[in-house]
Amino acid sequence: MKTAWIIMQKEIKENILTPKGVLWYMLTSTILSILSYLFLTNSELSLLDQGQMLYMIMNFISVLGVLIGIVFGTDALAGEIERGTIEALFLSPLKKNELITGKLGATIANWGIIFTISLPYLFVVGKGAQNLLVGVIYLAIIGMLLTIIFSAFSMGLSARIKSMKNSLIISFFMFLLSGSPIFLSAAMRKTWFGSIFDIINPFADAINTFDSVVIDSQGFNYQASRIAIICSYTLLSLWFLRRSVSKLEM
Amino acid sequence: MRKIILILSIIVLTVEIMVKCVFAANNIAVSIDAPSTKANMGDKITYTGTITNNSGKALNNIIAYISLVNITPGKESPMDLEDWSANKAIKIDTIQPYSTYEAKWPMRLIDSGNYVVYITVVNKNDNIPVTSTMSHLEIKRILRLNPNNVLPVAIGEPLLIGILFIFVVLRKREKVK
Repeated sequence: MKTAWIIMQKEIKENILTPKGVLWYMLTSTILSILSYLFLTNSELSLLDQGQMLYMIMNFISVLGVLIGIVFGTDALAGEIERGTIEALFLSPLKKNELITGKLGATIANWGIIFTISLPYLFVVGKGAQNLLVGVIYLAIIGMLLTIIFSAFSMGLSARIKSMKNSLIISFFMFLLSGSPIFLSAAMRKTWFGSIFDIINPFADAINTFDSVVIDSQGFNYQASRIAIICSYTLLSLWFLRRSVSKLEM
Repeated sequence: MRKIILILSIIVLTVEIMVKCVFAANNIAVSIDAPSTKANMGDKITYTGTITNNSGKALNNIIAYISLVNITPGKESPMDLEDWSANKAIKIDTIQPYSTYEAKWPMRLIDSGNYVVYITVVNKNDNIPVTSTMSHLEIKRILRLNPNNVLPVAIGEPLLIGILFIFVVLRKREKVK
Protein backbone atom coordinates (compact mmCIF):
# COMPACT_ATOMS: atom_id res chain seq x y z
CA MET A 1 0.00 0.00 0.00
CA LYS A 2 2.92 2.29 0.81
CA THR A 3 4.39 1.66 -2.63
CA ALA A 4 1.05 2.50 -4.24
CA TRP A 5 1.05 5.75 -2.26
CA ILE A 6 4.57 6.56 -3.57
CA ILE A 7 3.47 5.79 -7.14
CA MET A 8 0.45 8.04 -6.68
CA GLN A 9 2.61 10.89 -5.40
CA LYS A 10 4.98 10.44 -8.36
CA GLU A 11 2.07 10.51 -10.80
CA ILE A 12 0.64 13.66 -9.19
CA LYS A 13 4.06 15.35 -9.39
CA GLU A 14 4.54 14.32 -13.03
CA ASN A 15 1.03 14.93 -14.33
CA ILE A 16 -0.76 17.37 -12.06
CA LEU A 17 1.87 19.66 -10.58
CA THR A 18 3.37 20.46 -13.97
CA PRO A 19 2.69 23.38 -16.35
CA LYS A 20 0.67 20.96 -18.52
CA GLY A 21 -1.47 19.82 -15.59
CA VAL A 22 -2.10 23.32 -14.26
CA LEU A 23 -2.95 24.49 -17.79
CA TRP A 24 -5.67 21.80 -17.92
CA TYR A 25 -7.16 23.12 -14.72
CA MET A 26 -6.96 26.70 -15.98
CA LEU A 27 -8.87 25.63 -19.10
CA THR A 28 -11.39 23.74 -16.94
CA SER A 29 -11.92 26.85 -14.86
CA THR A 30 -12.24 29.06 -17.97
CA ILE A 31 -14.85 26.73 -19.48
CA LEU A 32 -16.82 26.73 -16.22
CA SER A 33 -16.55 30.54 -16.03
CA ILE A 34 -17.98 30.98 -19.53
CA LEU A 35 -20.73 28.45 -18.87
CA SER A 36 -21.74 29.98 -15.52
CA TYR A 37 -21.76 33.49 -16.93
CA LEU A 38 -23.84 32.35 -19.90
CA PHE A 39 -26.28 30.57 -17.60
CA LEU A 40 -26.78 33.57 -15.39
CA THR A 41 -26.79 36.39 -17.92
CA ASN A 42 -28.15 35.01 -21.17
CA SER A 43 -31.71 36.20 -21.62
CA GLU A 44 -33.36 32.79 -21.83
CA LEU A 45 -30.89 30.60 -19.94
CA SER A 46 -30.81 32.99 -17.01
CA LEU A 47 -34.49 32.45 -16.51
CA LEU A 48 -34.12 28.71 -16.17
CA ASP A 49 -34.82 27.40 -12.70
CA GLN A 50 -31.79 27.41 -10.40
CA GLY A 51 -32.20 23.64 -10.10
CA GLN A 52 -32.12 23.21 -13.88
CA MET A 53 -28.97 25.33 -14.15
CA LEU A 54 -27.32 23.41 -11.32
CA TYR A 55 -28.20 20.11 -12.98
CA MET A 56 -26.75 21.24 -16.30
CA ILE A 57 -23.48 22.46 -14.80
CA MET A 58 -23.19 19.24 -12.76
CA ASN A 59 -23.39 17.23 -15.99
CA PHE A 60 -20.74 19.42 -17.51
CA ILE A 61 -18.37 19.00 -14.54
CA SER A 62 -18.80 15.22 -14.69
CA VAL A 63 -17.96 15.26 -18.41
CA LEU A 64 -14.82 17.34 -17.79
CA GLY A 65 -13.72 15.01 -14.97
CA VAL A 66 -14.25 11.90 -17.07
CA LEU A 67 -12.48 13.36 -20.13
CA ILE A 68 -9.35 14.29 -18.18
CA GLY A 69 -9.57 10.93 -16.38
CA ILE A 70 -9.52 9.12 -19.74
CA VAL A 71 -6.39 11.02 -20.81
CA PHE A 72 -4.73 10.18 -17.47
CA GLY A 73 -5.78 6.54 -17.85
CA THR A 74 -4.43 6.05 -21.34
CA ASP A 75 -1.18 7.81 -20.50
CA ALA A 76 -0.70 5.77 -17.33
CA LEU A 77 0.33 2.54 -19.07
CA ALA A 78 0.48 3.08 -22.84
CA GLY A 79 2.37 6.33 -22.22
CA GLU A 80 4.93 4.47 -20.11
CA ILE A 81 5.21 1.77 -22.81
CA GLU A 82 5.69 4.34 -25.59
CA ARG A 83 8.24 6.30 -23.60
CA GLY A 84 10.07 3.06 -22.79
CA THR A 85 9.81 3.60 -19.04
CA ILE A 86 7.61 0.58 -18.25
CA GLU A 87 10.65 -1.76 -18.22
CA ALA A 88 12.16 0.16 -15.32
CA LEU A 89 8.90 -0.19 -13.41
CA PHE A 90 8.73 -3.93 -14.07
CA LEU A 91 12.35 -4.47 -13.05
CA SER A 92 11.66 -2.83 -9.69
CA PRO A 93 10.13 -4.98 -6.89
CA LEU A 94 6.83 -3.29 -7.54
CA LYS A 95 3.66 -5.39 -7.75
CA LYS A 96 1.34 -4.77 -10.68
CA ASN A 97 -1.59 -4.20 -8.33
CA GLU A 98 0.38 -1.52 -6.49
CA LEU A 99 1.22 0.11 -9.79
CA ILE A 100 -2.38 0.37 -10.95
CA THR A 101 -3.62 1.39 -7.50
CA GLY A 102 -1.12 4.26 -7.43
CA LYS A 103 -1.99 5.38 -10.95
CA LEU A 104 -5.71 5.12 -10.31
CA GLY A 105 -5.21 7.06 -7.08
CA ALA A 106 -3.68 9.91 -9.09
CA THR A 107 -6.72 9.89 -11.39
CA ILE A 108 -9.01 10.15 -8.36
CA ALA A 109 -6.88 13.01 -7.04
CA ASN A 110 -7.35 14.69 -10.42
CA TRP A 111 -11.14 14.37 -10.00
CA GLY A 112 -10.77 15.84 -6.52
CA ILE A 113 -9.01 18.90 -7.97
CA ILE A 114 -11.63 19.35 -10.72
CA PHE A 115 -14.40 19.02 -8.15
CA THR A 116 -12.69 21.60 -5.90
CA ILE A 117 -12.30 23.98 -8.85
CA SER A 118 -15.98 23.57 -9.70
CA LEU A 119 -17.27 24.23 -6.16
CA PRO A 120 -17.39 28.06 -6.39
CA TYR A 121 -19.24 27.78 -9.72
CA LEU A 122 -21.73 25.32 -8.26
CA PHE A 123 -22.46 27.66 -5.36
CA VAL A 124 -22.80 30.71 -7.61
CA VAL A 125 -25.02 29.04 -10.20
CA GLY A 126 -27.05 27.07 -7.67
CA LYS A 127 -27.50 29.96 -5.24
CA GLY A 128 -31.01 29.64 -3.88
CA ALA A 129 -31.60 26.17 -5.30
CA GLN A 130 -33.21 23.94 -2.70
CA ASN A 131 -31.08 20.86 -3.31
CA LEU A 132 -27.69 22.50 -3.74
CA LEU A 133 -25.81 20.74 -0.92
CA VAL A 134 -27.30 17.32 -1.62
CA GLY A 135 -26.52 17.80 -5.31
CA VAL A 136 -22.91 18.70 -4.55
CA ILE A 137 -22.48 15.56 -2.41
CA TYR A 138 -23.98 13.37 -5.13
CA LEU A 139 -21.70 15.01 -7.72
CA ALA A 140 -18.60 14.35 -5.59
CA ILE A 141 -19.39 10.64 -5.20
CA ILE A 142 -20.90 9.82 -8.59
CA GLY A 143 -18.32 11.95 -10.41
CA MET A 144 -15.57 9.97 -8.67
CA LEU A 145 -17.18 6.64 -9.61
CA LEU A 146 -17.55 7.75 -13.24
CA THR A 147 -13.90 8.84 -13.28
CA ILE A 148 -12.85 5.42 -11.93
CA ILE A 149 -15.02 3.60 -14.50
CA PHE A 150 -13.70 5.42 -17.54
CA SER A 151 -10.07 5.84 -16.45
CA ALA A 152 -9.81 2.19 -15.34
CA PHE A 153 -11.32 1.13 -18.67
CA SER A 154 -8.92 3.32 -20.67
CA MET A 155 -5.98 2.16 -18.52
CA GLY A 156 -6.91 -1.49 -19.08
CA LEU A 157 -7.41 -0.89 -22.77
CA SER A 158 -4.06 0.87 -23.08
CA ALA A 159 -2.39 -2.11 -21.36
CA ARG A 160 -3.90 -4.43 -23.95
CA ILE A 161 -3.46 -2.28 -27.08
CA LYS A 162 -0.13 -0.76 -25.96
CA SER A 163 -0.83 2.34 -28.07
CA MET A 164 -1.78 5.57 -26.40
CA LYS A 165 -3.36 7.08 -29.53
CA ASN A 166 -5.57 4.08 -30.27
CA SER A 167 -6.67 3.50 -26.70
CA LEU A 168 -7.43 7.22 -26.34
CA ILE A 169 -9.60 7.22 -29.47
CA ILE A 170 -11.47 4.04 -28.44
CA SER A 171 -11.99 5.38 -24.91
CA PHE A 172 -13.33 8.67 -26.25
CA PHE A 173 -15.73 6.82 -28.54
CA MET A 174 -16.91 4.67 -25.67
CA PHE A 175 -17.49 7.79 -23.63
CA LEU A 176 -19.34 9.50 -26.49
CA LEU A 177 -21.52 6.42 -26.82
CA SER A 178 -22.38 6.43 -23.13
CA GLY A 179 -22.80 10.22 -23.15
CA SER A 180 -25.23 10.11 -26.06
CA PRO A 181 -28.34 10.49 -23.80
CA ILE A 182 -27.32 14.12 -23.35
CA PHE A 183 -27.82 14.68 -27.08
CA LEU A 184 -31.10 12.78 -27.26
CA SER A 185 -34.43 14.43 -26.64
CA ALA A 186 -36.58 13.36 -23.69
CA ALA A 187 -39.05 11.75 -26.13
CA MET A 188 -36.33 9.60 -27.73
CA ARG A 189 -35.13 8.50 -24.32
CA LYS A 190 -38.62 7.31 -23.49
CA THR A 191 -38.75 4.76 -26.32
CA TRP A 192 -38.14 1.12 -25.35
CA PHE A 193 -34.60 1.24 -26.70
CA GLY A 194 -33.89 4.60 -25.08
CA SER A 195 -35.22 3.36 -21.73
CA ILE A 196 -33.07 0.22 -21.78
CA PHE A 197 -30.03 2.21 -22.87
CA ASP A 198 -30.70 4.70 -20.08
CA ILE A 199 -30.76 1.93 -17.47
CA ILE A 200 -27.67 0.01 -18.54
CA ASN A 201 -25.54 3.05 -19.29
CA PRO A 202 -23.57 4.34 -16.27
CA PHE A 203 -23.32 7.89 -17.59
CA ALA A 204 -27.07 8.08 -18.22
CA ASP A 205 -27.64 6.67 -14.74
CA ALA A 206 -25.44 9.43 -13.34
CA ILE A 207 -27.25 12.27 -15.13
CA ASN A 208 -30.65 10.78 -14.28
CA THR A 209 -29.58 10.66 -10.63
CA PHE A 210 -28.55 14.34 -10.76
CA ASP A 211 -31.88 15.18 -12.38
CA SER A 212 -33.82 13.20 -9.79
CA VAL A 213 -31.92 14.69 -6.83
CA VAL A 214 -31.61 18.32 -7.90
CA ILE A 215 -34.75 18.95 -9.97
CA ASP A 216 -37.24 16.39 -8.67
CA SER A 217 -36.03 16.47 -5.02
CA GLN A 218 -36.28 12.69 -4.78
CA GLY A 219 -34.63 10.80 -1.93
CA PHE A 220 -31.95 8.11 -1.85
CA ASN A 221 -34.51 5.30 -2.33
CA TYR A 222 -35.13 6.52 -5.87
CA GLN A 223 -31.40 6.66 -6.60
CA ALA A 224 -30.39 3.32 -5.06
CA SER A 225 -30.86 1.18 -8.18
CA ARG A 226 -29.02 3.64 -10.42
CA ILE A 227 -26.15 3.99 -7.95
CA ALA A 228 -25.99 0.20 -7.69
CA ILE A 229 -25.58 -0.01 -11.48
CA ILE A 230 -22.82 2.64 -11.41
CA CYS A 231 -21.06 0.72 -8.59
CA SER A 232 -21.34 -2.50 -10.62
CA TYR A 233 -19.66 -0.79 -13.58
CA THR A 234 -16.95 0.51 -11.24
CA LEU A 235 -16.20 -3.04 -10.06
CA LEU A 236 -16.37 -4.34 -13.64
CA SER A 237 -13.92 -1.73 -14.91
CA LEU A 238 -11.54 -2.44 -11.99
CA TRP A 239 -11.72 -6.16 -12.77
CA PHE A 240 -11.02 -5.39 -16.47
CA LEU A 241 -8.03 -3.23 -15.49
CA ARG A 242 -6.60 -5.87 -13.16
CA ARG A 243 -7.00 -8.60 -15.76
CA SER A 244 -5.47 -6.46 -18.52
CA VAL A 245 -2.48 -5.47 -16.39
CA SER A 246 -1.88 -9.05 -15.23
CA LYS A 247 -1.28 -9.99 -18.87
CA LEU A 248 1.06 -7.07 -19.43
CA GLU A 249 4.66 -8.18 -19.95
CA MET A 250 7.88 -6.50 -20.94
CA MET B 1 -88.38 23.67 -59.41
CA ARG B 2 -85.50 21.43 -58.32
CA LYS B 3 -83.14 24.35 -58.60
CA ILE B 4 -85.34 26.49 -56.36
CA ILE B 5 -85.59 23.69 -53.75
CA LEU B 6 -81.80 23.26 -53.81
CA ILE B 7 -81.17 27.02 -53.43
CA LEU B 8 -83.73 27.25 -50.64
CA SER B 9 -82.15 24.26 -48.85
CA ILE B 10 -78.71 25.86 -49.06
CA ILE B 11 -80.07 29.15 -47.71
CA VAL B 12 -81.84 27.40 -44.83
CA LEU B 13 -78.70 25.39 -44.01
CA THR B 14 -76.49 28.50 -44.08
CA VAL B 15 -78.90 30.42 -41.88
CA GLU B 16 -79.01 27.50 -39.43
CA ILE B 17 -75.21 27.33 -39.22
CA MET B 18 -74.98 31.11 -38.74
CA VAL B 19 -77.62 31.03 -36.04
CA LYS B 20 -75.80 28.15 -34.35
CA CYS B 21 -72.50 30.05 -34.48
CA VAL B 22 -74.04 33.25 -33.13
CA PHE B 23 -75.83 31.25 -30.47
CA ALA B 24 -72.59 29.49 -29.55
CA ALA B 25 -70.75 32.79 -29.42
CA ASN B 26 -73.47 34.24 -27.23
CA ASN B 27 -73.53 31.11 -25.08
CA ILE B 28 -69.98 31.59 -23.91
CA ALA B 29 -68.28 34.85 -23.19
CA VAL B 30 -64.62 35.10 -22.30
CA SER B 31 -62.68 38.06 -21.03
CA ILE B 32 -59.02 38.54 -20.15
CA ASP B 33 -57.75 40.49 -17.21
CA ALA B 34 -54.12 41.61 -17.52
CA PRO B 35 -52.26 42.66 -14.37
CA SER B 36 -50.27 45.19 -16.36
CA THR B 37 -49.53 46.14 -19.94
CA LYS B 38 -45.86 46.91 -19.17
CA ALA B 39 -43.40 44.59 -17.44
CA ASN B 40 -39.72 43.70 -17.25
CA MET B 41 -37.95 40.56 -18.38
CA GLY B 42 -37.89 38.01 -15.59
CA ASP B 43 -41.12 39.29 -14.01
CA LYS B 44 -43.85 36.82 -13.15
CA ILE B 45 -47.36 37.96 -14.02
CA THR B 46 -50.69 36.20 -13.86
CA TYR B 47 -53.44 36.56 -16.43
CA THR B 48 -56.97 35.87 -15.34
CA GLY B 49 -59.58 34.63 -17.75
CA THR B 50 -63.28 34.84 -16.92
CA ILE B 51 -65.49 32.43 -18.80
CA THR B 52 -69.21 33.10 -18.57
CA ASN B 53 -72.00 30.73 -19.45
CA ASN B 54 -74.80 32.93 -20.78
CA SER B 55 -77.13 30.08 -21.56
CA GLY B 56 -79.73 28.30 -19.48
CA LYS B 57 -77.93 24.98 -19.93
CA ALA B 58 -74.79 23.81 -18.12
CA LEU B 59 -71.68 23.72 -20.28
CA ASN B 60 -69.57 20.61 -19.97
CA ASN B 61 -65.99 19.76 -20.89
CA ILE B 62 -64.82 23.21 -21.85
CA ILE B 63 -61.18 23.74 -22.79
CA ALA B 64 -59.55 27.13 -22.26
CA TYR B 65 -56.03 28.10 -23.27
CA ILE B 66 -53.93 31.22 -23.44
CA SER B 67 -52.01 32.40 -26.50
CA LEU B 68 -49.09 34.76 -26.70
CA VAL B 69 -48.09 36.33 -30.00
CA ASN B 70 -44.97 38.37 -30.56
CA ILE B 71 -45.87 41.46 -32.61
CA THR B 72 -42.45 43.10 -32.46
CA PRO B 73 -41.61 44.21 -36.03
CA GLY B 74 -39.46 41.52 -37.64
CA LYS B 75 -40.15 38.97 -34.88
CA GLU B 76 -43.84 38.30 -35.50
CA SER B 77 -44.67 34.77 -34.38
CA PRO B 78 -46.72 32.85 -31.83
CA MET B 79 -44.66 31.89 -28.76
CA ASP B 80 -44.09 28.44 -27.29
CA LEU B 81 -45.61 28.90 -23.86
CA GLU B 82 -43.67 26.00 -22.36
CA ASP B 83 -40.60 28.27 -22.28
CA TRP B 84 -42.65 30.94 -20.52
CA SER B 85 -43.63 28.53 -17.73
CA ALA B 86 -47.27 29.16 -18.51
CA ASN B 87 -49.95 26.59 -17.75
CA LYS B 88 -51.13 24.37 -20.52
CA ALA B 89 -54.76 24.28 -21.48
CA ILE B 90 -57.25 24.23 -18.62
CA LYS B 91 -60.11 21.73 -18.77
CA ILE B 92 -63.29 22.88 -17.09
CA ASP B 93 -65.69 20.08 -16.24
CA THR B 94 -68.85 22.13 -15.87
CA ILE B 95 -69.99 25.75 -15.89
CA GLN B 96 -73.47 26.06 -14.44
CA PRO B 97 -76.14 28.14 -16.28
CA TYR B 98 -75.56 31.90 -15.98
CA SER B 99 -72.43 31.48 -13.92
CA THR B 100 -68.76 32.19 -14.45
CA TYR B 101 -65.48 30.35 -14.11
CA GLU B 102 -62.20 32.06 -13.36
CA ALA B 103 -58.98 30.54 -14.67
CA LYS B 104 -55.46 31.77 -13.95
CA TRP B 105 -52.36 31.62 -16.13
CA PRO B 106 -49.15 32.60 -14.34
CA MET B 107 -46.38 33.41 -16.78
CA ARG B 108 -42.66 34.14 -16.53
CA LEU B 109 -41.58 36.80 -19.02
CA ILE B 110 -38.47 35.46 -20.68
CA ASP B 111 -37.91 37.75 -23.63
CA SER B 112 -38.34 41.41 -24.44
CA GLY B 113 -40.65 42.81 -27.13
CA ASN B 114 -44.26 43.68 -27.83
CA TYR B 115 -46.83 40.96 -27.44
CA VAL B 116 -50.56 40.35 -27.52
CA VAL B 117 -52.18 37.85 -25.18
CA TYR B 118 -55.64 36.34 -25.56
CA ILE B 119 -57.66 33.45 -24.23
CA THR B 120 -59.54 30.98 -26.35
CA VAL B 121 -62.37 28.77 -25.16
CA VAL B 122 -63.30 25.65 -27.03
CA ASN B 123 -66.58 23.82 -26.54
CA LYS B 124 -66.58 20.55 -28.44
CA ASN B 125 -70.31 20.87 -29.11
CA ASP B 126 -69.86 24.17 -30.97
CA ASN B 127 -68.28 24.75 -34.33
CA ILE B 128 -66.38 27.89 -33.53
CA PRO B 129 -64.05 28.75 -30.68
CA VAL B 130 -64.67 31.84 -28.60
CA THR B 131 -61.78 34.20 -28.01
CA SER B 132 -61.31 37.10 -25.67
CA THR B 133 -60.15 40.53 -26.70
CA MET B 134 -56.39 40.94 -27.09
CA SER B 135 -54.40 42.31 -24.22
CA HIS B 136 -51.20 44.12 -25.18
CA LEU B 137 -47.99 43.55 -23.27
CA GLU B 138 -44.70 45.38 -23.56
CA ILE B 139 -41.70 43.61 -22.00
CA LYS B 140 -38.57 45.67 -21.36
CA ARG B 141 -35.12 44.11 -21.63
CA ILE B 142 -33.06 44.20 -18.46
CA LEU B 143 -29.29 43.94 -18.71
CA ARG B 144 -27.82 42.19 -15.70
CA LEU B 145 -24.02 42.22 -15.71
CA ASN B 146 -23.31 40.46 -12.45
CA PRO B 147 -26.19 38.19 -11.45
CA ASN B 148 -25.53 36.10 -8.30
CA ASN B 149 -22.10 37.79 -8.02
CA VAL B 150 -20.83 35.51 -10.76
CA LEU B 151 -18.13 37.89 -12.02
CA PRO B 152 -15.67 37.60 -9.10
CA VAL B 153 -15.73 33.80 -9.49
CA ALA B 154 -15.84 33.75 -13.31
CA ILE B 155 -12.84 36.10 -13.59
CA GLY B 156 -11.07 35.42 -10.31
CA GLU B 157 -10.72 31.66 -10.43
CA PRO B 158 -9.11 31.29 -13.89
CA LEU B 159 -6.88 34.22 -12.94
CA LEU B 160 -5.75 32.52 -9.73
CA ILE B 161 -5.03 29.26 -11.55
CA GLY B 162 -3.24 31.32 -14.24
CA ILE B 163 -0.97 32.81 -11.56
CA LEU B 164 -0.31 29.28 -10.27
CA PHE B 165 0.50 28.22 -13.85
CA ILE B 166 3.08 31.03 -14.22
CA PHE B 167 4.56 30.09 -10.85
CA VAL B 168 4.90 26.41 -11.87
CA VAL B 169 6.45 27.35 -15.24
CA LEU B 170 8.99 29.69 -13.62
CA ARG B 171 9.87 27.08 -11.00
CA LYS B 172 10.40 24.46 -13.69
CA ARG B 173 12.65 26.82 -15.64
CA GLU B 174 14.71 27.49 -12.53
CA LYS B 175 15.12 23.76 -11.98
CA VAL B 176 16.26 23.26 -15.59
CA LYS B 177 18.85 26.06 -15.16
